[in-house]
Amino acid sequence: MFHVTKAYPGDPPVLVDINLDVQKGEFVFLTGPSGAGKSTLLKLMFVAERPTRGQVLISGRNVARLREGGIPYLRRNIGVVFQDFKLLPTRTVAENVGFTLDVLGTPREVVRARSLKALKSVGLEHKADVLPPKLSGGEQQRVVIARALVNDPAILLADEPTGNLDPRLTVEIMDLLCDVNARGTTVVVATHDASLIERYQKRTLRLERGTLVAEALGHKAAALMA
Amino acid sequence: MSVTASLGYFSRTALNGIVRSPFVHVIAVASLAIALVGFGLARMASAQLDRLLVALAGEVEMTVYLADGTTPEKIADLQAALSQRTGGQTRVVSPSEALGRLASELGEQGQALESLEENPLPWSVEVSLPPLAREPEQLEALAERVRSLPFVTQVDYGQEALERLTAIARALKLGSLIAFVLVFLTAVVVVSATLQLAIYSRREDIEIQKLVGATDRFVRAPFLIEGLLQGVVAAALACAALWAFAFFVGPKLAALFSFLDVGKGRSGIDPRLVLELFSLGAGMGLLGSIVAVRRFLRV
Repeated sequence: MFHVTKAYPGDPPVLVDINLDVQKGEFVFLTGPSGAGKSTLLKLMFVAERPTRGQVLISGRNVARLREGGIPYLRRNIGVVFQDFKLLPTRTVAENVGFTLDVLGTPREVVRARSLKALKSVGLEHKADVLPPKLSGGEQQRVVIARALVNDPAILLADEPTGNLDPRLTVEIMDLLCDVNARGTTVVVATHDASLIERYQKRTLRLERGTLVAEALGHKAAALMA
Repeated sequence: MSVTASLGYFSRTALNGIVRSPFVHVIAVASLAIALVGFGLARMASAQLDRLLVALAGEVEMTVYLADGTTPEKIADLQAALSQRTGGQTRVVSPSEALGRLASELGEQGQALESLEENPLPWSVEVSLPPLAREPEQLEALAERVRSLPFVTQVDYGQEALERLTAIARALKLGSLIAFVLVFLTAVVVVSATLQLAIYSRREDIEIQKLVGATDRFVRAPFLIEGLLQGVVAAALACAALWAFAFFVGPKLAALFSFLDVGKGRSGIDPRLVLELFSLGAGMGLLGSIVAVRRFLRV
């Protein structure tokens, strides 16, 4: 990201002159108080929002200027774990996960098989035919992760992926994200959970009022939360 | 990307949409079917009228009365000119033949004609007019020309009846065209309104589809299929209704108008009309869904 600013008319800018470089295969925590602009930064990456100024390059392409027709093809390489889940209550867990593959025109049997595999990786294959409202918050969270991963994306963006989980599940989910990262997927996790940053010791960026105020690596990252 | 997989997915999604909100779709299909029945009835009526015109006009003849002493050469020239212009058969009627016909038409009263010392009827040329030469304007122009010949005293061709029938046929055709356009537009609006509801009720699906990388075309296709299905189902219903009409009401109507000698020996509906109804239904459904998708699907 180069000099990225995002502002809505009439409000103070959400992001101000952000410069950020995430390498392929990296694992990055994005932290800061709520309202700091973490979610907006993620949205710029999968073009749910466009920057007011500046450039966002993904695999060398400036997605800030990507035409509408190109957005779907970009998103197929990006898995997103939404803070508010965005699961369809009238479709089963497996159908929700398979949604990502349906839009690619994948044959039905393949969709089913790969959805089950993705659900297995988050430990929910026995809930495949249940409707999401019957699941606990943590289970729904894991369904969302399965949906983001089912297409083996190059990039995984997660907005507070452990926000609704108890400590044991939090560790499970984080280990899962680390596994995905170890297999070569670039992972960006927005969180305000200091314990995660302390425990996993990854590169960490801190946002405050729309500005990147600090950056640290490994064991120094925890200090950013102070 | 597999085309068959996508088509299967689109159809499943479209059917799902219909199953999820059946009432709205029933209303759309019913309005489409009513529009199509109206169209079909108008077409059937207009076909009957055309047949009626042909039946009546089958007797349309032009009679050219000639002055006394017209030479046979001139009569032959006139015959050639008339048959070339109208493409019809011409025939020369002598005064005695004309008198004979008149006598037989009058029946017993015709005996009075026998007391005439001299035959008062002129020589004449009769032209039977083929369907192509029956346009009232065209005929009038021809009659005008023939009248201006020095040896022609009078030209008759059942002018008034023909003009009136043609005017009625035209008015009916224009009226049914206007009614059809109105009904067509209404049906398109109804279809697009139901699909607007469908789009609204599936807005979450659409949002998520877009977030996981669906193209606009992918999001729109199921709605187009829904519109198309509505049109096709409505056309099937309309065909059934029209067939029932032709089967149960048709014979009674035919009996009512039996003196006109039309509509006999026919039952059921014309296959061409069936084809028209289905293409029209599909067209209305598709058009309605395109309108809805363009206006309401801001993806």
